[in-house]
Amino acid sequence: MNGWDIWKKGFDAWENATARVLAEWLKSPLVLGPSGALLSAMMRSKAAGDQALATFWGTMGLPTKRDQERTLHALNQLQSRILDLEERLADDERR
Amino acid sequence: MRGLARLATLWTRPRPVVGATPADEVHHENKWRLMRFRPRAAGARFRTPILLVPSLINRHYVLDLMPGKSFAEFLVGEGHDVWVVEWGTPGDEDRHVGLDDVCDRTLGRALGIAARASGARGAHLFGYCMGGTIAAIHAAARPERVASLTLVAAPVRFSDGGLLSAWARTPSFDVAVMVRALGNVPWPLMQSAFHLLRPTLALQKAVHLVERAWDDEFLDGFFALETWGNDNVSLPGAFYVSWIEELYRRDALANGTLVLSGRPARLESIACPLLAVTFEHDNIVPWPTAALVMDRVASPDRERIHLPGGHVGAMVSRSAKATLWPKLSGWWAARDQSVVRRRRARTGTSRK
Repeated sequence: MNGWDIWKKGFDAWENATARVLAEWLKSPLVLGPSGALLSAMMRSKAAGDQALATFWGTMGLPTKRDQERTLHALNQLQSRILDLEERLADDERR
Repeated sequence: MRGLARLATLWTRPRPVVGATPADEVHHENKWRLMRFRPRAAGARFRTPILLVPSLINRHYVLDLMPGKSFAEFLVGEGHDVWVVEWGTPGDEDRHVGLDDVCDRTLGRALGIAARASGARGAHLFGYCMGGTIAAIHAAARPERVASLTLVAAPVRFSDGGLLSAWARTPSFDVAVMVRALGNVPWPLMQSAFHLLRPTLALQKAVHLVERAWDDEFLDGFFALETWGNDNVSLPGAFYVSWIEELYRRDALANGTLVLSGRPARLESIACPLLAVTFEHDNIVPWPTAALVMDRVASPDRERIHLPGGHVGAMVSRSAKATLWPKLSGWWAARDQSVVRRRRARTGTSRK
């Protein structure tokens, strides 16, 4: 067994043990509870900021980013429904 | 020593060629595309097409990694008519794309197009990882065009006590507010979560790279897989909310309470031939969460293959090419529409 093999064996053992400990730690409610709460608080504050900005744009009579997203999504849905209808027509013609 | 010297030249190595099997785009709708791999020169040997469904957060080319190491290329070579769904990159407006859009409308359309083009009644549906769960949900709610279902490392039970399950089920984590703030769930956020599944993995890979730096074939595969692993896609917001709330928190697919476009999506409704593939050392989808499907479906023709290896390696490695891929190809070949028809004619049975 050469030096590298001995080192590699030690590394593998360390890596396995460390991964197991970290997995237990990352699964612990003591870590997950506060982390989830912190992430949710950050998201809530971003959502509130976005909402305030959208309200401001709205009062100026301008479409917001959300309005544009909703419109584009509606157009995509419409395209999908048209394709559904075309498929049904093609199926009926084949029959 | 030779390996260390080789490491110094790695940065000059050409980028790996990924997803190179020739394919044509047959359909394009919103961001997703349906691609059909060009058949081998002798033409396809089997009538029923195979539709590959990859995970929604990854690119499709894990199933077409690189020449000589491509599942799709292998299937084409075996004479199958192979199709794949490429989900594309969602735009900001796709935050409203939900479970119904993905599992019902997109897959329904893809199956319909593949079946019509091949003149078959349906297609073999193949799903890998999250793509497998999506395929199972579709087959459970809309079995009409599913000739058979193959699920590779596809979770159907989400309350498994694993890390992903523990994170997703944390009560203080508000999924709806996250999607309200971010729209789509950014891929770096999801990638960090996957890295945290085994935080030492990057170090382990680096050591492995040093150890095998002399091996060109290994390096090609390693860099191709790293290219794929770092080429992630953000997840549509509405889809993510359903995925976490319905599947992780309510375990609706396993409990039989999932509804897709107003139709119940019960695993018990799946009656087509089923093949489930699970991997012993899969730390992303622990094998019991994927194996559960075997006990729940109504299919009289069902089989499970359990293999050693991890979530990705066991699907794309050299040993997968030697063992798993031929098994999958043979399984589909035995269930091809023309073969089934010949068998029925021989035995004198007819389809009711």
